[in-house]
Amino acid sequence: MICTIERLVVRRGGRTIVDGFDLEATAGETIGIVGKNGSGKSTLLMAIAGVLAPHDGRVVIDGASVWGGARERLRARKALGYVPEAADPPGFLLGGELWAMCGASRGVEQAPSPTLSDALGLDELRDVPLERMSLGQRRRACLGAALLGPPRLLVLDEPDNGLDAKRADALVELVKAHAAAGHAAIVATHDRALLERAGARNIALATKA
Amino acid sequence: MADAGPRSSSVTRVWIRAVLAPADRRAAPVLIGTGIVGIVVFGPTGMQPHDLTQLAMLSPVVGLVLVATWTLLFLPVARVIVRGDAARYLRSLPSPRWPAFALGALAMTVLQLPWLLLWLVGAGAIGALVVALVTGLVVGLALVRGRPPRVGRLRWRGPLAALFGVYVRALRRRAFDALLRGVGLAVLAGLAGGLFARNNDLEPREASVLATAVIAVVLTPGWSGILLPLAETHRDSAWLAATHGISESARVGVLAAVSVAIYVATSALAAVAAFAIVPGAGAWLVAVPLGIAVGTGLAVTRGLVRAQRSAAMAARAVIGVIVGSAIVVVALGVFGATGVLAVLLAGVLAVGTA
Repeated sequence: MICTIERLVVRRGGRTIVDGFDLEATAGETIGIVGKNGSGKSTLLMAIAGVLAPHDGRVVIDGASVWGGARERLRARKALGYVPEAADPPGFLLGGELWAMCGASRGVEQAPSPTLSDALGLDELRDVPLERMSLGQRRRACLGAALLGPPRLLVLDEPDNGLDAKRADALVELVKAHAAAGHAAIVATHDRALLERAGARNIALATKA
Repeated sequence: MADAGPRSSSVTRVWIRAVLAPADRRAAPVLIGTGIVGIVVFGPTGMQPHDLTQLAMLSPVVGLVLVATWTLLFLPVARVIVRGDAARYLRSLPSPRWPAFALGALAMTVLQLPWLLLWLVGAGAIGALVVALVTGLVVGLALVRGRPPRVGRLRWRGPLAALFGVYVRALRRRAFDALLRGVGLAVLAGLAGGLFARNNDLEPREASVLATAVIAVVLTPGWSGILLPLAETHRDSAWLAATHGISESARVGVLAAVSVAIYVATSALAAVAAFAIVPGAGAWLVAVPLGIAVGTGLAVTRGLVRAQRSAAMAARAVIGVIVGSAIVVVALGVFGATGVLAVLLAGVLAVGTA
């Protein structure tokens, strides 16, 4: 099992956004999280990725709890690659510096492999500040950072936002290859066609009242 | 043609808000700092402007220090006006450009008022020529754009080294102008502190205490300008750190290290300038400002951490820096040189509970 989520409850601003969510992601599996605006997709992914502390429940990645003790937290995060919806790391960083930082933090290589670089066109982003990139370029740079390693679990929030058709195709192939290599991915998107092409098992979130 | 007037004036108003307002904000700390130094230097029992301008024209070293300090102080302001990057899109509009040029020239004059007054009152027509030449130099430097950064052969040794590298890059790329201004203000602060101490004819220990308190006051706007981009980086890198297992305490530790480095570097520069005025203060002028710098850098880190959790981050960060300087003045005023230990203790406690 690559990722187990048990009875996850996340509250923001006094509202319960995620209420008792359960999930198991096995090796080779891609899971699509779908739902209308405001259904809590991004909040759920933030709790899985260790950015937003849940009110209750557990998230376990590669045998380590994301919200456990210090060592477990570190182990869980080393097995994780995350791209948030906004894809907004500090804007003064160059693409290459973002990859180096993410690689150094996870203890893996600090530059994308030639295959990853070719698929996402990362060479042209290496010396460009993130604040000068378009949304699509920024997302490609963040995808490059998330896929370094590669991680056991990939958590992607609206990953095709801003991508042109060629790069969206490349993204699908990367997610499929990631799963084929025995890893797993959780992808939140409105684009059901993308999830279908990636062979994802979909879970729908209901809109909160 | 009938619409040209109103359209032109509205474009000019946008240019003022996009270019002159930020330039004015950058100039404020410079005007405050030079105002304090001016009061000390040209007070009732002090020098006359003519004495200083004559000294600057006769002694190349004094002249160079004076011109370099003003260039460092005013260059960040001039960059905003001369480049006008924030209003670049206005160039695509069919409106005349002369109002922007005229207002830019006026702003370059008004915002250099302390420098202009010094030279006009001190050296008359020759002074006006000096100001014109130095302004030409500043405009030339303001137009120079550095090479775009490149990654090169980058390899960080671990998460903390990476985070430290990110913060250093934030200072280089987001706070470069503030760093330039901070260097200029540090020289001014040291000169003001040294003059205060010398004018009061104090013993070395007391002289260093007074000089350090003055340095803390004059450098406050400089520190705010440098630390604000650091607080923004701390906030913007939070999710990256969270997903990569960099703990909150490690983040605070790196932020504290960078803050202390900024306080120590600027205080050391100010101490050197003060030492030039009161060489008799000797070792006290090393120990007191640097001890205070370490303590304040740690204490202000807590303010920056709190600020990044607030919606009014910029205001909170600036207030944090002002409170830090106020603590320094009170501690030195109440405890004298022993106040260094009080500030160090306060700093350690503050960062430990951040």
